[in-house]
Amino acid sequence: MNSPRRNPDGSLIQARQLTMTYANGAGEIEVLKGVSLSLYPGEMLAIMGPSGSGKSTLLYILGLLLRPTGGSYWLAGQDVLALDRAGQALCRRERLGFVFQTCDLLENSTVYENLEFPLIYAGVAPRERRERILAALEQVNLGHRLRHAANRLSGGERQRVAVARALVNRPLVILADEPTGQLDHRQGHLVMDHFEAVAAGGTAVIVVTHDPDIAARCHRVCPLKDGRLVAASPQAQGWAADG
Amino acid sequence: MRLDDLLRISVRQVYRHRRRYWGVILAIALGVAGFTTIITIGRDVKKNFNQDIELIGSANLIRLYWDHRPGQSPAWFRPETVSALRRTPQVAAVSEYTLRPAVVAAGGMRLEITVWAVDHHFWHLRQYQPAMGRLLGADSISDRRKEVVLGAALAAKLFGDRNPTGQTVDLDADLYQVVGVVRLDDYSVSNSLFIPLSTARDRLKGEVRPDRLLVRCATWDDVEGVAAAIPRVVAASQSASGLNVWVVWEALRRVQRVAWWIEFFFYLASSVTLLLGGVGIWNVMSAAVQSRTREIGLKKAMGAEDRDILAQFLTEALVLSVGAALLGLAAGRLVVALASSWLGQRPQEEVFIGCLGLSLAVAFAMGLGAGLYPSLKASRMEVVAATRYE
Ligand SMILES: Nc1ncnc2c1ncn2[C@@H]1O[C@H](COP(=O)(O)OP(=O)(O)OP(=O)(O)O)[C@@H](O)[C@H]1O
Ligand SMILES: [Mg+2]
Repeated sequence: MNSPRRNPDGSLIQARQLTMTYANGAGEIEVLKGVSLSLYPGEMLAIMGPSGSGKSTLLYILGLLLRPTGGSYWLAGQDVLALDRAGQALCRRERLGFVFQTCDLLENSTVYENLEFPLIYAGVAPRERRERILAALEQVNLGHRLRHAANRLSGGERQRVAVARALVNRPLVILADEPTGQLDHRQGHLVMDHFEAVAAGGTAVIVVTHDPDIAARCHRVCPLKDGRLVAASPQAQGWAADG
Repeated sequence: MRLDDLLRISVRQVYRHRRRYWGVILAIALGVAGFTTIITIGRDVKKNFNQDIELIGSANLIRLYWDHRPGQSPAWFRPETVSALRRTPQVAAVSEYTLRPAVVAAGGMRLEITVWAVDHHFWHLRQYQPAMGRLLGADSISDRRKEVVLGAALAAKLFGDRNPTGQTVDLDADLYQVVGVVRLDDYSVSNSLFIPLSTARDRLKGEVRPDRLLVRCATWDDVEGVAAAIPRVVAASQSASGLNVWVVWEALRRVQRVAWWIEFFFYLASSVTLLLGGVGIWNVMSAAVQSRTREIGLKKAMGAEDRDILAQFLTEALVLSVGAALLGLAAGRLVVALASSWLGQRPQEEVFIGCLGLSLAVAFAMGLGAGLYPSLKASRMEVVAATRYE
């Protein structure tokens, strides 16, 4: 893609009044009631909130995995909600890295194969792939697990592979849904170390978490309550102004 | 998505889920193996059968001749009748000829033999091939040439080991040149001499008229209809009283029966293969799409487009069907080799190659046809619906 890699105000993500209503059998659930959010390069944002508050829903929308019922969303200078399915897929593979809450890996595949898929879809040449996969795995200290079957990894390793897979495409934004949920304290902070490292390189990171310690390592913490993001916490002070 | 990646991933996927797929692979492979065996061996049977000239040659031939009616002048076929028969639908060829006794002399030998006065269609209808020299062509007939063809047995009697072509024989005190020898299984025919009908009409004693016809029908299945139509066709230009229409029904029925079975097996084998394989692939791919929604969602989250997913599932279906067909071909090749050595025949390589092409084409079409709907369904899946599927 040769469009600009920033929004006009310098942000990577600019979402305005995002709403999401699930049609659920008889009734409708209004999960998001107008979420506005800006995110700048190199910024780490934590989203917190009770279970069922819509954190995953918001992340899916930002990850172009779910279409919101309303609102606008600009990603890296592009009105991504106006794109068709193929355009959104292109965006996902070139700009976004997603870590699912359940740390989904392709079970019957090796660690290497799991990380290869994003590169295949992005059209990376075969001889370049190995290097990038190794680099991404080294970042999460799993360089030695290259040929391991995904379903033989420990929970913590799985989570780190999922993170590495989100990194391998060198995305502009990483969206991580409770990436430390199943890890012990030490492992959780290890994952956060990896995120800090990529954020230092200019990648923006959004982490959904229940753990205040994890949230405290982000530049900004936004609680999601009643379908809205509450004002940013004091940690936002001194960071790029939220529009 | 690159083609090599697509293929590699699909083969890997099928291999890793081989437990799910082995049933359908087995079904297709068995179908293809059976198909290949039946076609290849069936052709063997049919070909053998074709070599049996006497049987096949008579199966779709109709012979026409007249009853001897004492006190009446012998009946014969008028030119209008012959051309009317040639125009009759499903008649491939008609030959007119007659037989008469004569004395032939050569090399100091005199023999009483039968002379066949024939037209140039005769050879083809009877499927007679020259053993030496040539047969009597259209020119020999139209130019009324003084040429003869000898039956192999007669040639041996008259000329021994010498080559008879170019020699002359004396027939009813007239000299003729031998242009060829025809090899015949039937001894009495082999002991005969063949002469152009036109020449015989001019030169042999008495009236030489075509009182016999050979009619070859286009296929075995046309014999009955043509035989029934002949008396009417003849009656249109001359009296048909005393006409005999003779078909070797027994040979015809045998040929037809074998041909029918061969065809029956052909269609049975190919349709069963198609049906089993198609249903199997549809089934197994639909199940795969159902149970792999997470994988589909994940791949979409990793940036796969709809068409990447479509291509992947479709390629898997193709790997499945074409792979199974290859397996079946290998098995079929083995069975054919065994059966051929058992039957004491050389396997029909060109038929096998044909089967190979056809099987692969059918397998490809089947994989594509039966895999398309499940693959389309997979590709249209919403990402979140897919990732949240439990
Ligand atoms: N496909 C769907 N159809 C209907 N309702 C849905 C659907 N997906 C989510 N919901 C509902 O939307 C609400 C928000 O779900 P979401 O998964 O975003 O919550 P969450 O904040 O991530 O919760 P958790 O912390 O437990 O992961 C929940 O009440 C959930 O039941
Ligand atoms: Mg959630």
